[in-house]
Amino acid sequence: MLTRLSRFGTALPRLLSKPPARFVSQSKPSGAAGSTAVTELHPAAEQAGHGEVSPYVKNPDYHGFSKDDPVVDEWNMRVGFFFGISVALVIGGTFIHYLPDHGMRQWARREAEHLILQREKEGLPVIEENYYDPSKIILPTAQEE
Amino acid sequence: MLMILIPTLMLIPTAWASPLKWLWPTTLTHSLIIALASFTWFKAPSETGWHSINAYMALDPLSTPLLILTCWLTPLTILASQNHMSTEPAPRQRTYITLLISLQFFLILAFSATEIIMFYIMFEATLIPTLIIITRWGNQTERLNAGTYFLFYTLAGSLPLLVALLILQNNTGSLSLLILQYSDPLNLAPFTSKLWWAGCLMAFLVKMPLYGIHLWLPKAHVEAPIAGSMILAAVLLKLGGYGMMRITTMLDPLTKELSYPFIILALWGVIMTASICLRQTDLKSLIAYSSVSHMGLVIAAILTQTPWGFTGALILMIAHGLTSSALFCLANTNYERTHSRTMILTRGLQIALPLMTTWWFTASLANLALPPLPNLMGELTIITSLFGWSWWTLLLTGAGTLITANYSLHMFLMTQRGPLPHHITNLDPTHSREHLLMALHLLPLILLMLKPSLIWGWTA
Repeated sequence: MLTRLSRFGTALPRLLSKPPARFVSQSKPSGAAGSTAVTELHPAAEQAGHGEVSPYVKNPDYHGFSKDDPVVDEWNMRVGFFFGISVALVIGGTFIHYLPDHGMRQWARREAEHLILQREKEGLPVIEENYYDPSKIILPTAQEE
Repeated sequence: MLMILIPTLMLIPTAWASPLKWLWPTTLTHSLIIALASFTWFKAPSETGWHSINAYMALDPLSTPLLILTCWLTPLTILASQNHMSTEPAPRQRTYITLLISLQFFLILAFSATEIIMFYIMFEATLIPTLIIITRWGNQTERLNAGTYFLFYTLAGSLPLLVALLILQNNTGSLSLLILQYSDPLNLAPFTSKLWWAGCLMAFLVKMPLYGIHLWLPKAHVEAPIAGSMILAAVLLKLGGYGMMRITTMLDPLTKELSYPFIILALWGVIMTASICLRQTDLKSLIAYSSVSHMGLVIAAILTQTPWGFTGALILMIAHGLTSSALFCLANTNYERTHSRTMILTRGLQIALPLMTTWWFTASLANLALPPLPNLMGELTIITSLFGWSWWTLLLTGAGTLITANYSLHMFLMTQRGPLPHHITNLDPTHSREHLLMALHLLPLILLMLKPSLIWGWTA
């Protein structure tokens, strides 16, 4: 572990001057401490010679937005994160959270709980056997049928 | 409605007038603001179901989540295509963005139309930008073949719908969704009425797609550029489900008998396409087949015609829209680095791109329906409603979920675990753009767990 860290110390200045490719070991682990993890990194000149130039040559802080212009790249990241996360998800999420109770379902639930507590306190059944007052229901007489 | 439609149209001047280097940031910002504004549609003041009514458009709890998904997907497609398009000349980049915008415009009109003919026209209109995106910006020459399949499957399926709708118009005098469910059933000869039933549904079954008429979908997905795959999986397939839910309300007495073979075919398709996923070598094709499998559940749920079936179908459509789009984005990040979709050539990426593995993990779990996620909520609701229809469906749905978990794990293990192949020597690190893209897909999915009633549809 220590040898790894110490190697990182020497690698760091090189990182700043050269395009960082992923540090992927392609060599077989030799077992010896401090085996070369960065041996197969391509030097910048070799990459620039190819058709595809690594955007990290031009802009070490490349965010994946604009390959040509570091300023545009950074601003594109800023507006993306600001409007995507801060505005749409955070403000939008807050808006959705505080939407009015649709169909008054939450109110109905609270009201029902109040009513149950009140009726239990008064010793009444939670719901009357006759939900509608039977005296108020007017049924047709047998003759009318 | 116009509060969203006019800004959507104004995105086109934004895309053409902004200087090239600010093209992507401005369109991204503009479309994200539209997406934010679309959240106001969740505020449904009326108790009747329909709200925000104007002459041609209205919203109800069924269309609102799909509309907001549409508005949310457009900025994500812009964000996802940025790298893919950066080498193109300026007019082509602007044309590409314009096509994405027109797709959003047509989809909004399709989902909010109150007249079925207008829905039909917009349903067909979405084919044009999608076809151009696939056949112009796909990566291989097979894209032309894929475009032909895509166009002709969908067109051949939907022309009978036009005839069926004209018959309905002739008989009832109206095609307005607001009143159609109250009209009397059609008086047709028995055989004709069966044909009419099939004509009404076939367009949507092809679009969903139903197993057996799904062959256009894997082709289109594999050949389309990233934005095409995303919008196809996330929204265009849902047009089929939405259309089915709208139209089955008026096919009432016939569906009870006629839906039988289609439910069986859909459920059989869930198993078959999920099994196909297990032996896929192509990453995008795997994700495409997994879409067919999930949509099979949605078809079966809608055809059972129960409130739970409809709710489950809507939940699964929204959840699957975000999940499959996220998976396509992840597949694209691999593709941009290794230039290969073959899973055996892009193994072991965890060791190189560990943070991307976290996103892969989350998206795979969402795809296999991990407990609190809306995906599970949708699948359980659907399985319950199908179980109510017939006990035997449990064999098919149960095996389906099992195989879904299998292939999701297979996909995750194949791409992420194990040693890195020797030919991969130089990988780009992950970009902030890709992390933002994944966060914008998966955070809404996670946030939906907190207020699931948003996507419950009519029963909410």
